[in-house]
Amino acid sequence: MISNECKQFLTWLESWSPDEQPSNSPQHAQNCAPCGAVLSDLKAIHGEAASWSANEPEPPPHIWTSLRAQLQEEGLIRTAESDRIAPQVVSSPGWFGSLFGQFPRPVLAGAYLSLLIAAGFALSGPLNRPSNEARWLEGTQIATSPLSAQLNSLEQNSVPTGRALNPAVTASLQQNLAIVDNYISLCEKSVQEEPQNEVARDYLYEAYQQKADLLAQISERGENVQ
Amino acid sequence: MSTGHLVPTQATFKSRWKVAGLVVPGLLLCSAVSAGPLRHEQHFKVAAHPVITIHNPEGLITVKAWTKAEVMVISSPSSAEVTVDAEQMGNRVDVSTRALSDSVAPADMKTDFQINVPEDAELQIHNDAGSVTVANVLGDMNVETVAAGVDLEDTSGYLTVKTVGGSFQCLRCAGRIEVSSISGSFKLIDLKSTHVWAQTSTGNILFNGQFLPNGTYSLKNYSGVIEVRFSPADSFDMSATSLKGKVNNEAKLTPSTHEHHFMPRWGNALFGTFNQGRAKVELTSFDGTINILKRD
Repeated sequence: MISNECKQFLTWLESWSPDEQPSNSPQHAQNCAPCGAVLSDLKAIHGEAASWSANEPEPPPHIWTSLRAQLQEEGLIRTAESDRIAPQVVSSPGWFGSLFGQFPRPVLAGAYLSLLIAAGFALSGPLNRPSNEARWLEGTQIATSPLSAQLNSLEQNSVPTGRALNPAVTASLQQNLAIVDNYISLCEKSVQEEPQNEVARDYLYEAYQQKADLLAQISERGENVQ
Repeated sequence: MSTGHLVPTQATFKSRWKVAGLVVPGLLLCSAVSAGPLRHEQHFKVAAHPVITIHNPEGLITVKAWTKAEVMVISSPSSAEVTVDAEQMGNRVDVSTRALSDSVAPADMKTDFQINVPEDAELQIHNDAGSVTVANVLGDMNVETVAAGVDLEDTSGYLTVKTVGGSFQCLRCAGRIEVSSISGSFKLIDLKSTHVWAQTSTGNILFNGQFLPNGTYSLKNYSGVIEVRFSPADSFDMSATSLKGKVNNEAKLTPSTHEHHFMPRWGNALFGTFNQGRAKVELTSFDGTINILKRD
């Protein structure tokens, strides 16, 4: 769940270039902490990547010879081409550059940045996770099934005692237990229908909490509400 | 140190004599004394910030502040088979109702209390059924009930109230208020509190008070109506969401400049700032209606 301004910022970011002037950054990135952090991280990553390129150690020449022999042996390259590969490789600025040299740098940077943005938003919280209703539903069920079972067990084990009960209190507890049970079933239905709906999930968890509190009160009084 | 005395209620023996004639006057006298409620009054000298705890299964509990440095407990059990224990431990006074035998019927456990405490007293009250009324007490307060309603008036401090089905009303309360219930409704009238947290499942919530600068006001229910009244001078940041219900708003809100709001994907919601947005107001409902209305 992200705002329209955040969406616009992401659109802007897709065409962002590391050489972008800081003054061209949208105002939103300065006002919005998460988006500002993403932009800041990307700039830091770009700076770090540039330093990697500058400090790339040159692999020993026999690595390329072995690599060429292996590729020829496996039939992956032709001899004529392989003859051209060696000088290209040797003359390249480094192995990183050779492997990805066929792609223009901005494309690589853009792909890398897009990947990071996706990862950043994916990790920023459940609100932004990708749509996967089955996974959400499964996660909710994993979280609530033991709760539900324990609460049902606790409810069934409410043993009547010989103590006389206050009718007004017993009636109130019974009535409110029914309310909470109804509340739980409605929330469960909502979660089934919209597994990613975090509001419905919150309400469901709260309903379980209320039932637990209520059963604790009933248990405290030794009352049976069956 | 406490002092106490029993004051049996005096029946109007004169009228009874007229009705019953002159037959067995001794029996009549005995029945009049035993059938009437017992009134027990006790006094405890206390220092500043005393703590008073009250445990009662059912009855009307009325607590009022006074200027004396003492606690007065007047208890009225409905049965002679019930007694009230009131003990002082240092600066704490513990009051509880106890059955004298196992055969006491639930209805006979009912005991009413009238308690006077210093203004700065801290209260811990547990009353399952009946009602709890507290007025002019400025100390912290914790009230727990099942079916009993809770009425607070001109109180302050840190107030925590928890009911199962009992309603809650707070009139001119200040300090910090946290209240929760399952089916109880809340009325928060003329509040001067900087922190209000109220949550009920099926009850209604009415807030008609000041939104103080830097205050936080969180009202949440499952169903029922959440109604907030505001005045033109109020200043707040509003967030109102009802997952399956309606949000009706009379406030002219402007897009918030204070903080980042994520637009909701679910339900009906509105966000915005009223005046400078000095207070923070969060209203949340599952399928209830949220009304943000001008104060009359």
